[in-house]
Amino acid sequence: MNPQQIVEAVLFASDAPLTADEIARADETLDEDEVEAALQSLRAEYDDAHRAFEVVELAEGYQILTRSEFASYLERFDNVPRPSKLSGPALETLAIIAYRQPLGRLEVEYIRGVGASGVIRTLQERRLIDVVARGEGLGRPLLYGTTQHFLEHFGFRTLEDLPRPEELPIVLRDRMPLGLDAGEDAEDGRDPQDEADEDDRPPAPDVEGAPESGEERP
Amino acid sequence: MDLTVSGAAPERTGTFLVEIERFQGPLDLLLHLIRTQDIDVLDIPIARITDQFLKAIQGLAAHDLDGAGEFLEMAATLVRIKAQMLLPRPSDDDDEDPRAELVRRLLEYEQIREVTHRLRVSEAERGRRFGKGYVPVRPKRPAVEAPLETTWDEVYEAALGVELPIPRDRRHRVTARTVSMEEKAVLILDALKGTTRVEFTRLLEGFAERMHGVMTLLAGLELTRRRLLLLRQTRPFADLWIYRREDEEEGDAATGGGDPFGDGLTEAAEASSLSEDPDMPIPEPDEGAQA
Repeated sequence: MNPQQIVEAVLFASDAPLTADEIARADETLDEDEVEAALQSLRAEYDDAHRAFEVVELAEGYQILTRSEFASYLERFDNVPRPSKLSGPALETLAIIAYRQPLGRLEVEYIRGVGASGVIRTLQERRLIDVVARGEGLGRPLLYGTTQHFLEHFGFRTLEDLPRPEELPIVLRDRMPLGLDAGEDAEDGRDPQDEADEDDRPPAPDVEGAPESGEERP
Repeated sequence: MDLTVSGAAPERTGTFLVEIERFQGPLDLLLHLIRTQDIDVLDIPIARITDQFLKAIQGLAAHDLDGAGEFLEMAATLVRIKAQMLLPRPSDDDDEDPRAELVRRLLEYEQIREVTHRLRVSEAERGRRFGKGYVPVRPKRPAVEAPLETTWDEVYEAALGVELPIPRDRRHRVTARTVSMEEKAVLILDALKGTTRVEFTRLLEGFAERMHGVMTLLAGLELTRRRLLLLRQTRPFADLWIYRREDEEEGDAATGGGDPFGDGLTEAAEASSLSEDPDMPIPEPDEGAQA
């Protein structure tokens, strides 16, 4: 039994991504480096042999998945495991959480301009987000972040695979008059939760650190 | 939250036809107004946009107060900015343009929308690759949602068709066990003496053989046909409940008006009473089952 075969067996039997470390647990003789090496040669082997599946880096681990060009054949069967697609509001909320995590519901609502409690619950039920911390603000709000399953669902290796904000073609981003720079800096320096709390709750006796927010938002 | 307004007529805002239902919220609507008119986000003609926004959300509150609140809040913000723009401002740098915060939110929201789009693409790409968990094809069982419709004859026939799993080594042995339907009818009626309903499976407790189940079901159907019982099942394969039929509510129950759950439960009682001949003799299934 060579390392490559062991790694292949473990990957083959798994229905979720495994990290090199996890794969190495299959045998005492294996270490992470060996697993990585075996994974590379497995990958090359599958490519050379034109196998219908490949070793994919996914959610900080590895999984054997069919190549996408075979999708149309597999899609004919309605018992192929296939997560249902997310709705527009769910994706939008998830995008906000992915970029701003950890953050609370009120901040999500402020960015979207609409309520988000239902969508957040749905995302939590689908294990795409989870409560990762509690905020410092009033009522110690729940702060949400994305999960491992989020990476799996979108085929990302890590959160680094998310499109970078500076790559996004947002029109007029280069021109920044209107004191926008100052505004943004001030925003970044603040605890997001302080800001969010002010929106929905009766004013706290003293809110420090957010002098201009009261006049910005009625 | 999604804004779902039914029946709201599209509003004309200047040359723009705005269907408020299409928008996910006030920022979405605002961005639409700005982008479709080629307006520079950094120099929003706030008076014009405010008017258009207000026109677009007219009549909203009447339909959906919850969703309207979010739009009204934005309307208030716009009106306030409009007012601030009219006031003379000191020209020193500290004082922000009244529109700055709104612009920042709009750009941020637009960015999020772009990310959302990218996520959708990634999701679709990922959806084209399949991992373990694939199950070989089995004949698809259609989801049966229709109410049970059957006749006595069909039930009888089906009951006779029930194949008992007979162990190989016992195949030759003929068991002349008779389970009579009368006996089961008595069992059912006894069970219903102190109560108004009983679960079908309760009546099978203590009887291992399938024939007991068959005969209990047949007895139940027969008593139903005689209008002594009601059988209820919320959906195919759900638990079957046997109800005592009170004489005084007979007319009611027969039309389904007495449905205690009020959620369209299947009434086997009605189905079985469709049997053409009300005087059809009780069949002798024992004979047939062993034929």
